[in-house]
Amino acid sequence: MSHSTHPASGDEGFAVTTHALSKRYGGEPALDRVELRVPEGAVYVLIGPNGAGKSTTFKILMNLERPDSGSAEVFGLDTGRQGPKARAQVGYVPERQDSGYRAMTCGRLLQHVAAYYSTWDHAYAEQLTRALDLRLQRRVGGLSKGEARRLQLVMALAHRPPLLLLDEPTDGLDPLVRKRVLALLTEHLADTPTTVLISTHHVYEMETLADHVGVLRDGRLVAQLDRDELKRTVRRYRIEVPEGWESPPEFRVAADASRSPNRRELQWTLVGDERSVAEKLALTGARVREVTSLGLEDAALAFLDGEVTG
Amino acid sequence: MLVTLDPRDARPLYLQIMDEVRRALVLGTLRAEDPLPSVRELASELVVNPRTVSQAYRELEREGVVYVRRGQGTFVAPEFDRDRQERDALARAVAKRALIEARRNGLGVDELVTMIREVAADEEAEPSRSAYAANEGEKQ
Repeated sequence: MSHSTHPASGDEGFAVTTHALSKRYGGEPALDRVELRVPEGAVYVLIGPNGAGKSTTFKILMNLERPDSGSAEVFGLDTGRQGPKARAQVGYVPERQDSGYRAMTCGRLLQHVAAYYSTWDHAYAEQLTRALDLRLQRRVGGLSKGEARRLQLVMALAHRPPLLLLDEPTDGLDPLVRKRVLALLTEHLADTPTTVLISTHHVYEMETLADHVGVLRDGRLVAQLDRDELKRTVRRYRIEVPEGWESPPEFRVAADASRSPNRRELQWTLVGDERSVAEKLALTGARVREVTSLGLEDAALAFLDGEVTG
Repeated sequence: MLVTLDPRDARPLYLQIMDEVRRALVLGTLRAEDPLPSVRELASELVVNPRTVSQAYRELEREGVVYVRRGQGTFVAPEFDRDRQERDALARAVAKRALIEARRNGLGVDELVTMIREVAADEEAEPSRSAYAANEGEKQ
């Protein structure tokens, strides 16, 4: 497909970058010097609890919010100064549905949106509408949360933008439809070169689709790495320890350790190269009994659980 | 060819896909000149980034296991000899995984090899003690 036209990227090879991006709401930091790097062609999943700053990040990228300091770029275009140009590159599914256009029917709204994009693919829009069971004669104002979500997905995908910003795109959808959305998204990626930045509470759904992960906690990006690196460096260790053993301070403890009742066995999620972690543990007199690789969700959540340092 | 991925597996996804193709070749469910599923099909079925499937196919092509026919897709190489290279490659991959698992459990190579032979001999003597049966028992 030759629908997408990539403008020259600013930071080479990145679809989205933010530079010391900060935003406060009523004195509370929503984003704190965030340095997001989303490589072109990546499926980048942004993870974090409610209020961690995920939606704020999306809104700034869409120029719906202004940062207090720092900047954001989409394909090298400053989202503040070149907002409309940057937005034209994006298909956006917002976390909350728009309050505008409530009186319009879904079909009319799709026509309305289509007129804005030279790349709008009418046949594809129809195909998506069918695949997502969207009823075009329904009024936008009367849609359920799930229906509104499906409408937004059609609007975001049908113009085949080079960047998709999906803020909880499967929220409010039943499990079967969620599955269908993920299959549609995967086919979309095969047909159209696209970068995806996605936030979700259903991280397990992105287990195999995501190839990059960012973890936001209290407005800070506490981890940002590709899938293979995450899987290589975050592992769960079961160790046997001598009486009175204390954990060495240099470890990046990612999750709270759980200890057996007799305190001789310990289970830990640690960040670092497995061999060097095991060696360090051995030096303290601990014996590594088992090391397990974690799924994407558990590995990413480890960064939210404990005091990650270093 | 059936491909399944284990998201908790430590191997990167493209390597898992490569190993699944190799396994299908050794089992004979995929043979010389057979077409592989298209990148789009396999990506959508597995819900992985199509680039991951492309990467696996590219690597397999580099190793001479498959080749690309322009406009038609990816096919198993005609001269593919399933009883030599691929068996070796697959056995090597299985051995690597077993060795990693053994080391993690504090076992040495000799202990592992000895025990594999012993377990295999036990199973031969008494099929109900097969590894499959043991796994079933653990699950209950």
